[in-house]
Amino acid sequence: MSYVGKSITRIDAEAKVKGEALYPGDFNLPNQAYMKILFANRPHAIVKRIDTARAKALPGVLAIFTAKDVPVNEYGLIMPDQPVLCGPGSSKPYADRVRFIGDQVALVIAENEEIAAQARDLIEVEYEDLPVLTDVHQAMESTENLLHPDRGSNVFCHYRIRKGDTEAAFSQADVIVEGEYHTPVQEHAYLQPEAGIGYIDEEGRVTIVVAGQWTHEDRKQIAHALNLPEEQVRVIYPAIGGAFGGREDMSIQIVLALATWRLSQQGINRPVKIIWSREESIIGHHKRHPYHIYARWGATKEGKVIAAEVKLIADGGAYAYTSTKVLGNATLMCTGPYEIPNVKVDSYAVYTNSIPNGAFRGFGGPQGAFAAEMQMNKLAERLGMDPVELRLRNVLREGSLLSVGTPLPKGVSIAQVVENCAKRAGWKQTSNGWEFDREKHPSLKLQKSNLRRGIGFACSFKNVGFSFGAPEQCQATIELRGKGEIEEAVLYHAGAEVGQGVHTVLIQMAAEALGVPIEKVRLIASDTATSGDSGSVSASRMTFMAGNAIRGAAKLALERWRNEERPAVGHYQYRPPRTTPYDPETGKSEPNFAYGYVAEAVELEVDIETGQIRLLNVICADDVGQAVNPQLVQGQIEGAVVQAAGYAILENFVQQNGEVLTRGLSTYLIPTVLDIPDRVESLILEYPDPIGPFGARGMGEMPYLPLVPAVASALHDATGVWFNEFPLTPERVLFGLTKSEE
Amino acid sequence: MLPEFDLVMPRSLNEALQVLAAGSPEVLPIAGGTNLTVDMRSGRYEPKVVVDIEKLPELKGIRRENGQICVGGGVTIAELLKDGLVAETAPVLKSACALFANPLIRNRATVGGNLVDGSPAADTAPSLLALDAEIELTSQDGKRRLPLDEFFIHVRKTARQPNELVTALRWALPKPGTGSAFYKLGLRKADAISVVSVAVVLEAEKGVCRKARIALGSVAPRPVRAKNAEEFLTGKLLKKEVFEEAAALTAQAVSPISDVRASAEYRRRMSAVLTRRMLEQAAEQTGWKE
Ligand SMILES: Cc1cc2nc3c(=O)[nH]c(=O)nc-3n(C[C@H](O)[C@H](O)[C@H](O)COP(=O)(O)OP(=O)(O)OC[C@H]3O[C@@H](n4cnc5c(N)ncnc54)[C@H](O)[C@@H]3O)c2cc1C
Repeated sequence: MSYVGKSITRIDAEAKVKGEALYPGDFNLPNQAYMKILFANRPHAIVKRIDTARAKALPGVLAIFTAKDVPVNEYGLIMPDQPVLCGPGSSKPYADRVRFIGDQVALVIAENEEIAAQARDLIEVEYEDLPVLTDVHQAMESTENLLHPDRGSNVFCHYRIRKGDTEAAFSQADVIVEGEYHTPVQEHAYLQPEAGIGYIDEEGRVTIVVAGQWTHEDRKQIAHALNLPEEQVRVIYPAIGGAFGGREDMSIQIVLALATWRLSQQGINRPVKIIWSREESIIGHHKRHPYHIYARWGATKEGKVIAAEVKLIADGGAYAYTSTKVLGNATLMCTGPYEIPNVKVDSYAVYTNSIPNGAFRGFGGPQGAFAAEMQMNKLAERLGMDPVELRLRNVLREGSLLSVGTPLPKGVSIAQVVENCAKRAGWKQTSNGWEFDREKHPSLKLQKSNLRRGIGFACSFKNVGFSFGAPEQCQATIELRGKGEIEEAVLYHAGAEVGQGVHTVLIQMAAEALGVPIEKVRLIASDTATSGDSGSVSASRMTFMAGNAIRGAAKLALERWRNEERPAVGHYQYRPPRTTPYDPETGKSEPNFAYGYVAEAVELEVDIETGQIRLLNVICADDVGQAVNPQLVQGQIEGAVVQAAGYAILENFVQQNGEVLTRGLSTYLIPTVLDIPDRVESLILEYPDPIGPFGARGMGEMPYLPLVPAVASALHDATGVWFNEFPLTPERVLFGLTKSEE
Repeated sequence: MLPEFDLVMPRSLNEALQVLAAGSPEVLPIAGGTNLTVDMRSGRYEPKVVVDIEKLPELKGIRRENGQICVGGGVTIAELLKDGLVAETAPVLKSACALFANPLIRNRATVGGNLVDGSPAADTAPSLLALDAEIELTSQDGKRRLPLDEFFIHVRKTARQPNELVTALRWALPKPGTGSAFYKLGLRKADAISVVSVAVVLEAEKGVCRKARIALGSVAPRPVRAKNAEEFLTGKLLKKEVFEEAAALTAQAVSPISDVRASAEYRRRMSAVLTRRMLEQAAEQTGWKE
C-alpha cells in the first residue's frame, strides 16, 4: 500500500468539474445583506470630510461604516502601515490619507447590491489632493513628498550583501558584463474575484467565508483591527478559484468581518455578502513588483564568475504588503544558483502611489533570476563559451558558499538538473565540455524571409518555506476512529486548497504515514475553528511543511492507537531548522532550510517584421525531491510555465500617474489556450531532500523562475539582440530589432 | 449591473420596424447582444426599450441572388464561418470570421451588430469593404441600399437612422482571376481586439491588376480603404516592388492613434507590412506567377 508517488485523482475533481464545488461567491444565507466598498479612485489625497447623510437616507440602506468605526485602523502582513478604511476620525495618525486608487474609504451595507451601489455613489467625499509619486527613483530621493510621513523616507527596506572584495576581483576579470534590467508589473488574474460572506456563528464568533492563503493569519489581522481576541474570530475557506500569492494580503477579509460585527452590535444580526467585480479585483489587490536591476558581473576567461555587483530597486507601491520579504528573496536570487566569491548587493523597497506590490508566484525569484540569467547568458556570449558549460563551471555544489556566506542545506542538485535539461534539449557533453550543435537541429534553421528561430537556456533555485528568520511551523491533527481496526482516520488541517491540489496530497501523505487505505482518510480542512495553524500556502511550502506535520501526527496517533486509546488523537507541530535574517552590514545569514532546483530550455520563433513571438517548446526540468502526485506536479509545471509565458511575452499592466488603464481582462490580456507554448515538456527529477517528507521538496513556484530569461536568450539566439525589458510584446520586439539595426 | 428596460419580442420584421419607428431613439434593437449588453452594463447606452431581432426570419439566410451573394443582417459569425457559399465566394470574409472573438461569442454575434456598432476594430468590416459590399437598411418607409464605404462615418457613428435595421449585405460573385487575403494582428491569438487588420481583394488578368481593394481596421476612426494604393495598383503588373509601393501608400492612408494596445507608429508600420503580405497572398491566388 503506497500512495506517495501515485497520480491518484484529485479529491475535488468531480465536484469542480460538475460545478458543484462552492466558491466564496456561491454561498447564500437567509436574510443576507450586501456590501459595496467605496474606493478612493484617486492616487494620493487627504480625506477632509465624508458625508454619508444622503447615502444613509436611501431606503434599503442598513449601515455605512468609515474610518471612525474601525477600532484599530491598521493592518499589514509584515508591518501595519495600511488603514483598513481611510478617512478622518481614525485611531491612527495619517490614516486619513489615500495612497493609491484602491484604498478603501467607506462600506455600505444594504438590502441588495443595487441599493448598496447607489448609496455608495451618494457618499460625498472631500479630498485634498497630494502630489502623486510613481517613479521609484524620484520617490527614493524625495524628502518632502513622503507617502508615510511618520516614516521619514519613502525607502522602507534596504538590504546589503558584502562578500569578498568585488573591486579587487573586477580588476582581475577578463570580461565584465553590465546590464540594466526592468521587470514589469503582473496581475494575478485568478478566475475567482474576491468574494465572501460574513455572519456570527452559533458560538458568537465573527465568521467569514472567503478565499485566502492562510486562515490563521487572516484571523489574526481581523482580530487586531477589530480589537477582538482571536478566538472570537473564525475564518473558513471553501473552494478557492486561484491565488498565486494574490490572496496573501487582506482584500475583503477585515472589512467583511468589520461590517458583520458592527451590524450585529447595532442589533442587526444578518449575514453580509460581497462579491468584487473584475475591475474592483484589479484595482483592489496587489500585483507583482516591478524591479529596476543594475548588474555588473566579471568572469575569468576560464569561465569562472568571480565578481557580481547588483543594485535592485523594487517599487513597493503604496503599502509594504510583503515587499520586505519579496525583496529579501530577490536579493538572494539576483546572483543566481552560482558560487561567486565576491558579491556586493544593495537592494531597496520604495513606496510610490502605484498599486501596492506583493506576493506573486516566485516571490522576488523571477525578478532576481531574470537579471542573474541574463548576465550569465551575456557572459557566455562574451566568453565564447556554451551557456550550459558556463553554468556548470559555476553552479552551487554541496558545501558551496552562497552570497550570504553560508552553504545551502544538504541535497544540492542544481548541476544534475542543468545537465538533465540540457541533454533533453539536445546539448551534448564532449571532450570540450557541453556543446549545442545548431547544425544538428534543423528545426532551428527554418528561416522564411521574415521568421527566425532560436533556443535559450536558464536555471534557478527557489527556497521552500519562510526565509530569513521568519517564524516557521505547521500543525496537523489526526484522529483515528474505530475499535479493533482503524475505521476512519480524520485529518484536521488548515492548509488552503487554492487549486494546486494540496488537499489531495495531504490525504495521500496521511494514508502513507498511517499505512491505512486512502479511502479511510477524511480531511477536515481550512477552518480556524477545527485546525491548528498551518502557515500559508506560499513559498512552495505546504507539501513540505504539512507532510512533516502529518508524519509527526500520524506517528503519535498510531502510538496512542496501539495504547488502546479510542479515538486515538495525534497532534503535531513541525518546526524546520531555524533560519536567520540578513546581517545589516554584510548580509551574512542562513536564509532557508530547503530549496528546489530548476532548469529550462526554450525554443521560439519570431516574426522580425511584426515582432510577434511564438513559443514552440519549453523543456522544464525540476528537482521535486519526490513527486507525491506526479500528475499534480506536472500540472504545476505546466501552469507555472504558462503563467510565466504570459509574463514574458503578453501581460502588460499599464499604470499612468497612479491610474490603472488596464482595468479589465479585455485590456489586461492573459494567455488563451492558443497563446501558450506549443509544447511543454515536464522533466520530473527526484533527488530527495534529506529533511523533506518522503524526500519531497516544494515545487509550485520554481518552474516559473527561469522562463523569462530563457525566452530572452532564445530571442537573442534568433535575432542577435538582447532584450533587457519585458513583456516582449510585438511592438517592443519590433522596435528593439529596428533600433539595433540603426 | 444591467439597468431596467422593457424587452419587446416582435414576431416579424414589420412589427420590429413599428416599435422602432414609434420609440426611436429610446428604442434599440438587440441581436446577439454581445456589444449592447456590455454597453448597457457600463452605462454607455440606456435604452428604455430593447427590441429583440435575433430570431426574425427576414434577417436570416445566406443565398445567391441575381449574381450576388446576399447575407441577412442577423446572420451570426458562426453561420458565416461554416457556410459553403461564403467559403467559396468570399474566403476573405471567412478568414475574418475565423479570427473573430472566440467560439462562444461567434455563436451569438451577428454581422449586422458588428457593423452598426461602428467600431473601427469591427472584424467583418475590412473584408466586407474589400468585397465592395452594399448594405441594406430597412425602415417602415422602405428599403435603401448604400455602399458600405458610405455607411461608416466615425467611431460609433454610421449612416443608419435610429428607425432603421440592417436587413442584408450584398456583394458580387468573384470574377475569374480573383484573389484575396485577410489578417488580424492582435496581442493574442484569440479574443483580442485587433491592433491592425487588413483585407485585400485583387482581380487580375495575366498578372495585371484590374481592380484592387485594400481595407483596414483599427487604424483610423472608422474602417478605411486605402484608395490611393488601390488606384496605384490598378493596371500594374503584380510584383514585389509594386506591392511594396502599394504598402507604403497604404501606410500614408491611415491615421492611427496610440492606445493601451499599441502606438500609432507601430500601427502605421504594421499597416504597410501586413498590406504587402496580403497583396502577395492574394496575388498568388489570382493564378499568375511572376
Ligand atoms: C468577449 C467579446 C469578444 C469580442 N471580440 C470581437 C472580435 O474579435 N471582433 C469584433 O469585431 N468584435 C468583437 N466583439 C464585439 C461584438 O461581439 C461584435 O461587434 C458583434 O458582431 C456584435 O453583434 P451582436 O449581434 O452581438 O450585436 P448587438 O450587441 O446585439 O448590437 C450591437 C449594436 O448594433 C445594433 N444592432 C444590432 N443588430 C442590428 C441590426 N440588424 N440593425 C440595426 N442595428 C442593429 C444594436 O442596437 C447595438 O447598438 C467582442 C465582444 C465580446 C463581448
